[in-house]
Amino acid sequence: MPESIPQNAGFMVAAYTMAAVILVGYAVLLYRRTRKP
Amino acid sequence: MTLLRRGRWITGVALALLAVVYVRALAYTPVERFQGPAQKIFYVHVPSAWCAMLAMGLVGIAGILYLLLKDPRFDRFGEASAEVGTAFSLVMLTTGPIWAKPIWGTWWTWDARLTLTLFLFLLFLGYLLLRGAVTDPGLRARYSAVLGICGLVLLPFIHLSVYFFRTLHPQPIVLKPSAPSLPGPMLFTLLFSFGVFTLLYVGFVTQRYALALFRDQAELGGGGGRDGHA
Amino acid sequence: MAEVLRHAWRLARKDLLVEFRSRTAILSAAVFTVLVLMVFNFGRDPTAVAAVDLAPSILWVTFTFAAMLALNRAFQLELENQALDGLLLAPISRASIYLGKLVANLIFVAAVETIGLPLFALFFNVAVLPVLGPLVGVLALATVGFVAVGTLFSAMTARTRFAELLLPVLLLPFMIPPLIWAVLATAALLAGRPLSEAAGWLRLLAAFDIVFVTLAFLLFPATVNE
Repeated sequence: MPESIPQNAGFMVAAYTMAAVILVGYAVLLYRRTRKP
Repeated sequence: MTLLRRGRWITGVALALLAVVYVRALAYTPVERFQGPAQKIFYVHVPSAWCAMLAMGLVGIAGILYLLLKDPRFDRFGEASAEVGTAFSLVMLTTGPIWAKPIWGTWWTWDARLTLTLFLFLLFLGYLLLRGAVTDPGLRARYSAVLGICGLVLLPFIHLSVYFFRTLHPQPIVLKPSAPSLPGPMLFTLLFSFGVFTLLYVGFVTQRYALALFRDQAELGGGGGRDGHA
Repeated sequence: MAEVLRHAWRLARKDLLVEFRSRTAILSAAVFTVLVLMVFNFGRDPTAVAAVDLAPSILWVTFTFAAMLALNRAFQLELENQALDGLLLAPISRASIYLGKLVANLIFVAAVETIGLPLFALFFNVAVLPVLGPLVGVLALATVGFVAVGTLFSAMTARTRFAELLLPVLLLPFMIPPLIWAVLATAALLAGRPLSEAAGWLRLLAAFDIVFVTLAFLLFPATVNE
């Protein structure tokens, strides 16, 4: 009898959010630093 | 199109594609039966690891080329690649434990992957700190090249030390990590993600290089002003 | 080649004379070693953990810190009075300078280890004598690894603002692989396992040493040339 799929979607969401925050955050950081003053 | 504009374009496209990757991975890729949804962290963690390693490798190669050819463009590239590499290492360092907890039952484990993550991060950090601590541009370039090359040469030794450590201290394994042979849809998502992350790397490095170029040009302009030539 | 060695040895002698004449460096390193060993001893529960299980790690953490102390001082001498410029103007090759520094640092760390090892055996009641030969081999190989990279890096950090903070940060990733192999080899030796087991890790240490000493020789000129 196959066991049910583990309920760990929370981790998935956390990791994806973390990655997005860092990558988009860095993109924004670069954009602002490269804007001519 | 200037370097900066090109960099921004590439980054923009890459971020848009990243959103596509997210949608595909989260909604349109099958859930792994034994590991559950958390397995999908794989599609973000592994490409980040690839980018971080690529970044480190290129920093080292740029270092070698700089010492041989003395072309400041290699130094700028090293600077750019190191900073971008730090960003990807940070992604690795955060998604790694978040992935480890449901799969291995513990936030941290000294397995090859996570340990390499930590090493890469420390190497990048060291590189950036060294650059920050040296004010003279020529000296900074030479020192960075030396450190970058040493870091690159260290990588195989890291693998050799962690491998032995791991085989002697078995890791707590709650669920077996995904097997190397992935079914079609999952493989596609992974490869697609690899491509997008690499594109993102290129976009970031291009912009960061442009930033370094502006700064160097500004320094030259300001420093030589006294004599009347730019 | 002989000239390189001769110059290197003269440099090393000069450094060592300065260090050992004032004796502050070797004394503080020795005291530090004793302190670390004591702290480790008081920090553990003897009924819960056998000394021999922790011993290899304790030994190596102690020596790693001691090596770090030595390396921090490596180019300090030259920095005062800008002696480094004088050294660079002298008609000796860069290789001699690196080799001289390397030898001086190695001897210094070896002196600390010579003091530390018997104390370690005493405090932790570890049977070191039966495996003394191979153990000294492990010590030598790992120390060469640390000091080779450390001497190169200290040449770079010596002129920066936060040298004492920066050197450990830069050096840490490079000390960990030899540290791991050294701890594994020491553990195998102290547990009375056959030499062939430790041999694998000794080979890795040797490989690391050969690669990084060579690399350091190649890269050192880049750290001091104008």
